[in-house]
Amino acid sequence: MKITGKVWKYGDDVNTDVIFPGKYTYTVSDRAEMGKYALEDLDPEFTRNAQAGDIIVGGKNWGCGSSREQAVTCLKVRGIGAIIAKGFARIYYRNALNEGLPIVVSPEAVDALEKGQEVTIDFDKSEIVTAKGTFKFPPYPDFVKGLIEDGGLIPHVKKSLGL
Amino acid sequence: MGKTMIEKIIRRAAGREVKVGERVWCRMDLSTARDFGGANCVLQFEEVTDKKGKVWDPDKVAFTFDLQAPSHSEKVSTNQKIIREFAKKQGIKKVFDVDWGIGQHVLLENGLVKPGDVILGTDSHMNLLGAVGAFATGVGNTDIVASWFEGTNWFRVPETMKITVNGKFAKGVCMRDLLTHIVGTLGADGMFFLSTEFYGDTIERSSLSERITLCSMVTEMSGKIGLIMPNGKVLDWLVERAGDEVLDRVKTLAADKDAVYCQELEFNVDNLEPMTSCPDAPDNVKKVREVAGEHVDQVHIGSCSNGRFEDISAAFEVLKKANSRVAPGMRAIITPATREVMLQCAEAGYIQKFLEAGVIFTNPTCALCTAEHYGALPSGDVGMSTTNRNFIGKVGKGSHTYLASPMTAMATAIRGKITDPRDILG
Repeated sequence: MKITGKVWKYGDDVNTDVIFPGKYTYTVSDRAEMGKYALEDLDPEFTRNAQAGDIIVGGKNWGCGSSREQAVTCLKVRGIGAIIAKGFARIYYRNALNEGLPIVVSPEAVDALEKGQEVTIDFDKSEIVTAKGTFKFPPYPDFVKGLIEDGGLIPHVKKSLGL
Repeated sequence: MGKTMIEKIIRRAAGREVKVGERVWCRMDLSTARDFGGANCVLQFEEVTDKKGKVWDPDKVAFTFDLQAPSHSEKVSTNQKIIREFAKKQGIKKVFDVDWGIGQHVLLENGLVKPGDVILGTDSHMNLLGAVGAFATGVGNTDIVASWFEGTNWFRVPETMKITVNGKFAKGVCMRDLLTHIVGTLGADGMFFLSTEFYGDTIERSSLSERITLCSMVTEMSGKIGLIMPNGKVLDWLVERAGDEVLDRVKTLAADKDAVYCQELEFNVDNLEPMTSCPDAPDNVKKVREVAGEHVDQVHIGSCSNGRFEDISAAFEVLKKANSRVAPGMRAIITPATREVMLQCAEAGYIQKFLEAGVIFTNPTCALCTAEHYGALPSGDVGMSTTNRNFIGKVGKGSHTYLASPMTAMATAIRGKITDPRDILG
């Protein structure tokens, strides 16, 4: 699989409160609607203008803070193609896997990319192609790949139970 | 080669030998959800099982209502009703409704948490249960739903950091100040994916409340879990609540003397001063003295980090010593963590004294850990709170929050500006 998209770039320690504000966790339960509020407290321009296929580039510890899965869902339903970061906070990492939102760790690619540029992620080759060069990224561990191949955590569990 | 606590805990839950870095399936001792995320879990479980699914063991599923208790809107009320009805349908008896208080604390008080237990919850501060040696962790709704099928989920066996703390806190200084100091030193990703074990004479002497403060803030350093094996009075308290099995767990799950740690740090608290996390991040840390005199509009004491009886007692001592009341124009809110804590406050006579001093003393709930709750801040206002996060906009768009100990928060409420509690306590 290969995806190409336009970059939205952010810094370190972007927390779930600015990705999906807490107040909407009570009032918005429709998945499709969650996309309307994505990154509202971080970058209103993104909230207004982000397009399906765009790629988010973040610093270290992307998605730290709350356990809310909506912080992934809102980007997934908005059509964001992937997130490239220097690292992902642990609950966010699990939630992204569970929602099927591709996440890629590559500090080098993050440093090479600027807002508005085009970037291509080649998942088969584990490569990120930027204007400043091509960077390898670590593929998902085999255990995680197994979950993804089964269609996610819940389908995996159901399959193991013969459901 | 010796094993750390988390290696032994995951070995028990996996039913086989494990090694660091490996991803393994574990049995859950408890899989919980609260009114935050809980309704999403229920709706998702019903959807993926076509409303025919049964949770694997109704006695190992619990619901707590704490983030919006009692509910402030029809939408929240509906979410809470969705959970109540699901619990009834599934035969889940462990439903701690809006009258109980903060989930992890309620589970602990009700004897549902033992050292070595593996517990999931829709709360990123579930890991404060590491204060009694349990491996509890916050997850999103999909992880909860997956666990309800057969009581399992997967974890990566983490590396472990060892932190040793020695020394005695000076008057006006407490565990929260140490923790704030550690967050400032290590940063927002200082414990990235790690388990952390706490040792040293400061820890051995510490109360349950202090251990909860310490372990709750591991989340703010992106840690997986902070672990302290119960000893002394904490062990007695836990055995009384959770039974004699606690003693076996302490014996079998304590780290080996030759356990391997990825990093070892030491702190001494003898000369520690009151500390604060300045706006807008927990790791933006300064001494309270450095920001003393800054204006604050509202003070809040409570939360899963600092809402226990000992925390409220510490605030009360500052009020008593000041022999004063809340400063004119200041809004001061105290929220006990649980009903049990509130009763302790009532029995000690604190509630009346706080009310007479102009404090708003509320029912047990998470309160100002979220926007859209009472006490939300308007744009431009500055708050001081004993909660665990001060990300921008968290309790109101355009507002800013300092995080500090209950003593610093109370001193600030009395003087109307950021105040080092030692200025009152002497």
